[in-house]
Amino acid sequence: MANLKDIQRQIKSVSNTQKTTRAMKLVSTAKLRRADELAKRSRLYATKMNQVIAEIAGRIKCNKVGGIDNRYFVEIENPKMVDIVFVTADKGLCGGFNIQTIKAVKKLLKEYKDENVKVRLRGIGKKGIEFFKYNEVELFDSVINLSSKPDKVRSDEFIATSIEDYKDGKIDGLHIIYNGFKNMMTQELHVMKLLPVDTKQFECGEAQNSVLEIEAQDEEHMLDSLVNKYVGFSMYYSLIDSVAAEHSARMQAMDTATNNASDMVRSLNVKFNKARQAAITTELIEIISGVESMK
Amino acid sequence: MDKLKLEILTPNGEIFNDEVISVVLPGKEGEFGVLAHHACLATLLEAGVIDIEKIDKTIESVLINWGMVQVDENKIIVLVEGAVAIRGESESAIAGALEEAKELISDIADANPAIAIVSSKIELAAQRLL
Repeated sequence: MANLKDIQRQIKSVSNTQKTTRAMKLVSTAKLRRADELAKRSRLYATKMNQVIAEIAGRIKCNKVGGIDNRYFVEIENPKMVDIVFVTADKGLCGGFNIQTIKAVKKLLKEYKDENVKVRLRGIGKKGIEFFKYNEVELFDSVINLSSKPDKVRSDEFIATSIEDYKDGKIDGLHIIYNGFKNMMTQELHVMKLLPVDTKQFECGEAQNSVLEIEAQDEEHMLDSLVNKYVGFSMYYSLIDSVAAEHSARMQAMDTATNNASDMVRSLNVKFNKARQAAITTELIEIISGVESMK
Repeated sequence: MDKLKLEILTPNGEIFNDEVISVVLPGKEGEFGVLAHHACLATLLEAGVIDIEKIDKTIESVLINWGMVQVDENKIIVLVEGAVAIRGESESAIAGALEEAKELISDIADANPAIAIVSSKIELAAQRLL
């Protein structure tokens, strides 16, 4: 009989878990809609910004702009120190969302280690920070509560350190790694090289024959503020994109969990019925054999 | 008349995307106009008003607080931080846009005289429409 009680308790506990996961799924769906709306509006701007910067960088590379030697746009040989900024969620229960980012960070860390380049790891989001702390990987600095509530001012403040250090020559590169939103079902990992501006994709073709003029008294200053805005916005965009992805990942994980829970309840119910039947049978046999022995 | 394509984008979405005849932009070094076949150019924009001469010769104004522009031969991409287009079907919509524009101006923490000029400009733009 104790067995029956046990199974009953199990069924109750699993259905309670199912209630929680279903609620979490609903919450994530609602939050996803809002986060995606925000990301969608910025997506066009982000793409165009990348395009414009890439083009300016490409033209500088192909020497279509007269004699500019700007640190932001020129590939640095033998880098000594680079910044890696990663964005993870503050909360778990979202499937492989955080671990994907962490794996990419580890891969990049190893690549740089093999090349004997020092890395300053800067973390956003509790989960990633906890992981690296636990594994005793040193973090240069870290912020929490930013990846769950993206805020332009705080994100600008955070990334400003890297831009400043890059400008001063303390670091020779800046990467951002985050998990972005692709669609409701999938997330896409982004490993972005922000500084120096990536010019690999830009080919010096015939099409860009005309010379790009930079109309400003102070070209350096203009490129400075351009890159500032570019890096700042890329940081902010990766945060909002990451939030949307986080919610979509959680929604999916919670959906799977809810389905698993109902499968479990179903099989537990079968087990319960079988056990009950067995108990009844045993009881009957006991009564019958009792009566038989009385004869 | 030759046409050029103009795109104005903000982090909150697209404000303008159409073919136009000419554009006047508030560059950091002063205002400048762009017609078709302009030389390639990249520069920063200051707080000010972008005047767009559309295909039907009407003029539309967009208020911006900071931006950058890239001019290609027949294409202009303007990336701005905050922008309000002074337009609308009805008087109330235009008045609403004007209200929004004023709000944007008060957000700009630039020197005061510049703001005064800008606000008078958008008033003018609104009056043209009313």
